[in-house]
Amino acid sequence: MTVAMRLFWEITKRALARHLTYRVATITGLITNLFFGVLRASVLLALLGNSNSANGWNAQDIVTYVALTQALMMVVSIFGWSELMNTVYRGEIAAELLRPTSLYTFWLAQDVGRGLTALLTRGISIMLVCWLFFAIRVPNNFWQWLAVLLSLGLAMCLSFAFRFIVNLAAFWSPDAKGIARFAFIVLGFASGFLMPLRFFPDWLQQILALTPFPHMMNSTIEIYIGSNKTLELLALQLFWAIVLTLIAQLILARATKRLVILGG
Amino acid sequence: MLLENLRLYRFLLLAQLRSALQYRLSFGLDVLSTSLVTVTEFAAFVLVFSRFEGLGGWTLVEIMFLYGLVEFTFGLTDMVFDGFDSPTFSQHIRKGTLDQFLLRPVNLMIQIFGSSLSFRRIGRVLFGASIFAYALLHNPQVWQLEKMLYLPLVIFGMALYFGALFLIGASITIFTVDSTDAMNLLTYGGKDMMSYPMSIYTDWLRVMFTFLFPVALVNYYPALFFLEKPDPFGFPSFMPFLAPLAGIAMFLLALRFWKFGLIRYQGVGS
Repeated sequence: MTVAMRLFWEITKRALARHLTYRVATITGLITNLFFGVLRASVLLALLGNSNSANGWNAQDIVTYVALTQALMMVVSIFGWSELMNTVYRGEIAAELLRPTSLYTFWLAQDVGRGLTALLTRGISIMLVCWLFFAIRVPNNFWQWLAVLLSLGLAMCLSFAFRFIVNLAAFWSPDAKGIARFAFIVLGFASGFLMPLRFFPDWLQQILALTPFPHMMNSTIEIYIGSNKTLELLALQLFWAIVLTLIAQLILARATKRLVILGG
Repeated sequence: MLLENLRLYRFLLLAQLRSALQYRLSFGLDVLSTSLVTVTEFAAFVLVFSRFEGLGGWTLVEIMFLYGLVEFTFGLTDMVFDGFDSPTFSQHIRKGTLDQFLLRPVNLMIQIFGSSLSFRRIGRVLFGASIFAYALLHNPQVWQLEKMLYLPLVIFGMALYFGALFLIGASITIFTVDSTDAMNLLTYGGKDMMSYPMSIYTDWLRVMFTFLFPVALVNYYPALFFLEKPDPFGFPSFMPFLAPLAGIAMFLLALRFWKFGLIRYQGVGS
């Protein structure tokens, strides 16, 4: 193992331990999460009504969709993430930039640790409860599981790149929180978190397909439920992950160039 | 005494408004983004709705009656009760401002009400009002004198219901100090729940949120009366008229719990 990978793993491990400390919060969070899941599933199932399926999804697929969104929303931070901009506003960014690792890699490792905790605690417990009580769909072969895990990894990297770019606004604007709020409203809508993208009108689906947002959640769900376009979706996720990561690096380079630290 | 309190409340609110308007652009963006959350949620629902034939026998404009009324009333209550909202109230305990409030010879609740009012939620209130107005215009059966006279009472009952939840949340915070996530289940969860007809929920959930927490009583049943829809569960015909009573009962209960909490308040030593 190279030194860089070793370092990445050590940061990830520590972030994992830090987030695992809050157990009571995890349990109440789990109950709240399940409750909202039940409400969302009720609405979608009532829309489905007596028909067997809508746009290729039956009742079981819909319940699986809701379970997955509830399980993954913390993993890909659908509601927001502002740790990086906080370090800019508090001035801690000066110390962070002194580290021998790149700022991007350092925060990515942290975020993978946070995401893995969310997946191992909330994510898996929600999926288990839903599997026990609501008979959700479960992939039944090795290749599909592999595709789901790959897709989830890509979604995490992609969503991180997007969140990182949004946080970089703090280098230019004193009100990056406001900008972030807008960005995360778009994310919730366009990633298929609020409603399944395949239930949107066709014109809207076509527009959203041109953006990276569906690949931060919707694609993983499609692959989990069973899609005949798995490879295409994975390729698109990889493409967007690379593009957004490069953009993030570019903006970061410009941001650090104009950064002025005022004493402290 | 009441008049004196109201004068003080108005005074505190004007101070809040002045401070909110110091950074106009920032405030404007805040209002916009807060209302945009509600707008996108509703838009996503309407876009998906167009693919289906209805929702549990309700048309879109009928659902908008439920949705708009809740969005408007909840937005308003959330705005006014911001001081009691558990994240805000938790700060009063941590920073010791609650101790300061208790020492002043002024009504405690007026001070907390006046300590913060989230003006940025005004966009959400207005959006809720527009959905509701649209629903009123497209459901001609609601335009009857007795219904129009009853409407303010329904809003009053629902506002008291939500206000009671915020008050209970604050009272729990007295014991836990930290704000509690679990209350979100009742406030935001209850709000989401009553935005749609109660008939779409599974039985245990519906029964629990009719009799244990009167969620169904403050919105769904009144809506059945206004829209002249039959009750699929065959409860007595007075159900739609319990909304104000349910609100008042919840609020009185919450007040008792609040007093119970305050007597045991010990401060955190800050």
